[in-house]
Amino acid sequence: MIAIYICAGIAVYAAIRVIIERNTMRKLPFLNVVSFAVTGIIALLLPHPITIAAAAAYFVGSTLESNAIASTWAGGIRKP
Amino acid sequence: MLDEPLRILIAAIICWLNFMTIDLIFKLPHSGGVSGATAIAQEVEKGGGNLNGGYMMGNIVSSPDASAGTLLASCGVYCAGLPGGLFAALLVYVGNRICYDPGYAGTTGCITATFIVYGAVQSGWFAASDFIAGMVIAILTIQGLSSVHASRLIARLWKVRCRIIPEDKP
Amino acid sequence: MGRGYQETMNDVVMVASVLLILVGMTAAIFNRDPFDKLISLSVLIAGVFPFIVERGFLDVAIATALIAPLSTIFTLMVCRRVQV
Repeated sequence: MIAIYICAGIAVYAAIRVIIERNTMRKLPFLNVVSFAVTGIIALLLPHPITIAAAAAYFVGSTLESNAIASTWAGGIRKP
Repeated sequence: MLDEPLRILIAAIICWLNFMTIDLIFKLPHSGGVSGATAIAQEVEKGGGNLNGGYMMGNIVSSPDASAGTLLASCGVYCAGLPGGLFAALLVYVGNRICYDPGYAGTTGCITATFIVYGAVQSGWFAASDFIAGMVIAILTIQGLSSVHASRLIARLWKVRCRIIPEDKP
Repeated sequence: MGRGYQETMNDVVMVASVLLILVGMTAAIFNRDPFDKLISLSVLIAGVFPFIVERGFLDVAIATALIAPLSTIFTLMVCRRVQV
């Protein structure tokens, strides 16, 4: 069962890429990879029907959050 | 069954093909669905990438698209078989509604992925966990390596798609 | 096999999650830009999740997964109001 090791490794790699990247908007795709990997880890840790709901809730929540960050950033707080 | 690394690699290719095909069919690289996607696309373009590729990467970040659908379908089939995958499709549909997403790329991707993963598991060649790891690898190649190269690859595939499915653009 | 194998597997995942928490925490402390801080907090909460799920607290996981992004969204709404 090396699937969970792959997800854990990709999560750590993407987290490091998130903090190394200097441009705020370009951090978001790496954060998306972290969310994918942690969703996979959640599902692989505990194979139970309710885990699907937990994984989906986490993933949709993190998508909403990234979307909110991106659209607030674009919405004009940083107008020169 | 084959060796596990090889199974995961083949599952990654299958997941990549599934979500890229459905996203291209649903015109994700055409424009940003929500304002966040447009912001990401512009920053990708400033970094040297392609704008259409940036739109697709922004849409993947901002709303549940076929990549999210494929991942949750694999998780669903792993946890609870075919009903699990369809339950995941329902949750992806609810997620799409919450994010005000006008398209159905996520739900469609989830349903097709459910049947693909369930069929692969039933055939005895794969285990459902291979598809979970495979999908994470597939999204790593698009979002996690280099936004410049990934956006240019998406732009090339988008041009091919536009030639295959001609539409009357206003 | 059995319980021993399960614990070995979870050790790697535990180390990875702790790394996510530490990386997210250090980045949140040392980043200047508030948007970067929010993104680093997302990495931190991503590292906390496997611990919640591993113990079987699936209802806590669902609740946290819905509450944490909402708190980020409310933070952003407050910032927008203060600036504008």
